[in-house]
Formats: sequence, structure tokens, C-alpha cells
Amino acid sequence: MSRSNAQTVSLWLALVFGAVLLGAFVAFPGFFPPMSPQDSAHEVAAFYAQHTTMIRASMIVFNLCAVMLIPFFMVIVYQMKRMGTPTQVLAYAYLSAAASGVTLFAIADLFWLIAAFRPDRNPEQIQLLNDLAWITFIAPVGMIVAQNLCLGLAVYLDARREPIFPRWVGAFSIATGLAIVPSAGAAVFRTGPLAWDGAISFWLRNGAYATFMIVMFFVLRKTIARERVEELDAEMAVGTPLDGELVS
Amino acid sequence: MTAVATGAAAEHRPMTDGGRSPKLDLWICWWTFPIFYSLFGVIFVLLTKVMPPPRPGVSVEQINRFFDHNATTIKLGFAMLMVFIGLSCVTNALVVVQMKRMSVKPVFAYAYIATLAVGAVPGCLFAAFAFLAAVFRPDRDPQLIALLYDVGLLTFVGSLGCFTANYLVLALAIYLDKNRILPKWMAYITFWQIATELLAGPVFIFRKGAFAWNGAISFWEGTVIFSVFLGCLIVLLRRAIQQQPVDEPVQD
Repeated sequence: MSRSNAQTVSLWLALVFGAVLLGAFVAFPGFFPPMSPQDSAHEVAAFYAQHTTMIRASMIVFNLCAVMLIPFFMVIVYQMKRMGTPTQVLAYAYLSAAASGVTLFAIADLFWLIAAFRPDRNPEQIQLLNDLAWITFIAPVGMIVAQNLCLGLAVYLDARREPIFPRWVGAFSIATGLAIVPSAGAAVFRTGPLAWDGAISFWLRNGAYATFMIVMFFVLRKTIARERVEELDAEMAVGTPLDGELVS
Repeated sequence: MTAVATGAAAEHRPMTDGGRSPKLDLWICWWTFPIFYSLFGVIFVLLTKVMPPPRPGVSVEQINRFFDHNATTIKLGFAMLMVFIGLSCVTNALVVVQMKRMSVKPVFAYAYIATLAVGAVPGCLFAAFAFLAAVFRPDRDPQLIALLYDVGLLTFVGSLGCFTANYLVLALAIYLDKNRILPKWMAYITFWQIATELLAGPVFIFRKGAFAWNGAISFWEGTVIFSVFLGCLIVLLRRAIQQQPVDEPVQD
């Protein structure tokens, strides 16, 4: 029972902090519309000088809350470990990718905050920090892609009679991962849909990921409820068989 | 007692299967090893010219010329790395699963994955961010481009501790393991890897000679031993998977 409770709490943490992060996303003046990589150093510096307070406020919120999504990812890891896959290797790959992926966001956030720390800094230096923030935020998609492909593969390999996640979750996870791949182009292109403010690199990437998180929230709720029923059934049926299993 | 039993059930994980290859996930993960490190070679050696590293003792003009010359391949290579770095997590996980089969408690296995989750960002991706930012705007202040050159190469060659700790736990696990999942001589090669990381410490001090970031000791000696280590690891992991019994319980 207590195991399920930790999972439920993690889901609700993700819901609360997901809402907070969405608020910060809307509040950051550089996301609606996303800042253009074509801006000159002076335009970037002027942007930071004009919106200093909101940039700092929203990025401090991101700083505090983004890593709060980790427990949510660990619910997925735990459920992957319960799957009837040959080994738990994909669950560990997912864990590793989640840790590195969130680290990348934490670093991007710091670049934005450092850029906003002294808006009277040399504009070229502000522009460099801003470039590093955006490139680190949008381009290194490999960790998210690895997470989603591993989850998708594990769902397909889950040989339990009642699989932990329905099969469509596997396809959905892989599709989300693939939709995010082209955003790697944000590290290279300064115009067009692949630039960091582009339809693909910014909107498709972030939209696909937000949708994935929301869908997984409901999927996990169902999975946790079913796990609880299984546990109760096991306890009812128990008496000796489980004790016997313990001894063996 | 019942609660304990429910918890204990997770420890025994027979390789279940419904007609598929019983070790399919392990074999997929094993194949990512040669694929990832081949891509790694193409990206770092052929495309971005980070390996072997360009010289540290150069002028700002020379650094800017380096980026001008290699801008296209740096963009191509590091954009590829942005995606393919994810494969490294899969390779880490494969080692972890084999370490968990060893007779030692899985402490070293978890330490292995944690150290590499740390290492991926400063030890590999930071170089990419710095070089990508450098070629993103060729008209940037040349002094800033020179700064990015140092950031990229020092983080790449000089991220020592995450990998030292990683080699240490791997070497210890192999050395102490009574199940002989990996042969003991692999522990000695892994200990050698620690020595190469220690010898790379001076890259933060010297701008030329054997201990500079492109030097005979700091770079070449380390890279040669790493190649031997990696080749052995890939071959030995393949053998370990082949010898792994299909219904073997693995500690959780």
C-alpha cells in the first residue's frame, strides 16, 4: 500500500508543479512569441533590460520547480521495473536519461538568470549567455528521445498477461520521441521552423512533450489503481502462499 | 509478513517471455554500444575536430580561424550528438544490469549509473554547447569565441572526477565479484583508466607539452587506453549476455 501512496503523491506533485511551470512558461517574456535567434546583441540586451523583473521571476520559478518532475519520471521507472520484460535494463536507461535530461534544463535556466543578473553588461556577453540558454534548452533532445524510445520498447516487450501499460502507450511514447528529434536543429539554424523559435523546434517539441506528460498522468493513475487492486487481491489470497514464496 | 513478501516478490525477476527472443532487450542495448561509439568517433574525430584536440597555445585569431574552417562540420557533428547522446544512457544501463548480476550488492551498479548521469553533461555535452555557440554567430566578438574554445576543450578533456569515480566502482565490482560476470583482468584495465584520468589533471595548467590538453600523456595515452578498455568491455559484455541463464533471478 505504501508503495502506491508514494506514487500517488508523485503524480500530484507533478500536477501541481506542472501547473506552476506552465504559469512560469506563460510569464517568461521570451516565450510568447519565442525570442528570435536573429536578434542583434543590442536587441537582446534591450530585451533583458526591459523585462528584467519578469525574466528573473519566471526563471527562479523554473529553477525551483522544474526538477520537481523527477518523482513523476521515477513512477514511470518503477512501473517499468514491474513489467514482464526480460530484464530491467530499459528502466535503468530511462532513469539515467531522466537525470541527465533534467540537468540540461537546470543549466539552461542558470544561463538565463546569469544573463539577467547584470542587464548593463556588455551586450555581446548577454547575447552569448542568451544563446547558450536557448541552445541548451531546445537542442539536446537525446535524453528525452532515449527516455521515450526506451519506454516504448519496454511496453512492447512487456509479456505480462495484463501489461503494465496498454500497448498504445508504447506507440504514443515513441511518436512523441520522434516528434522531438528535429529540435536538435535549433543548435544550427537561425531561421525557419528548425530555429529555436520555429514551429517545429519550439512549438512542436514543447507541445508534444506537454501532451505526453498530461497523457501519462492519466495512464499512470490507472496503472497505480490497478496495482493497488492486485496488491489487495494478493493479500486476500495470501495466508501461506506468499510466505512460502518468501522462504523459497 | 505479507508486506515483506510482496516486497520480496520484486527481487526475483525470471526472464519471462511469450515466444520472443528471451534476451531481446539486452541485445538491443548491446548493439547500441558499437553504434554509439562509432557515431562518437565520427562526430568527435571526423566532424568536429575535437579529437585529437586542436592546440591550446594559440592566438585569438588562430582560434577564430579554426572555427571558420570547421563551422559546417562542427554544426553537423554536434547537432547529431544532440540526438545520439541518448544512446549513452542505454549503454550505461546494460553495464548496470550486468553489474547487478555480480555477487556484490548493487551499490556499485547504482553508483555506476549515477556517475555517468553526472558525467554526460560536463564531460560530453558542454563541449558541444560551447562549440555550437561559437559557430552559431561567426560575427561574435573574437575574444568570446576564444573563450568558448577553452570552455569546450577543457570541459571535454578535463571532466575527470565523474569518470574516475565511474571507473573506480566498475573496477571494484569486477574485482570483488565471485560470479565472474566479467573476468578479473578487466578490473585491472579499468584501474588503468583511473590512472589516465589522474594524468589528465594537468590540462588545466599547461598550454603545451605532454600534459597539455592535446599532449602525449594527457590526451594520447588516455585515448589509447580508453580504446582498449572500450573494445574489451564491448566484447566481454557480449559474452556475459550469451552466458546469462534465461531464468536467472537478478537482485533488485
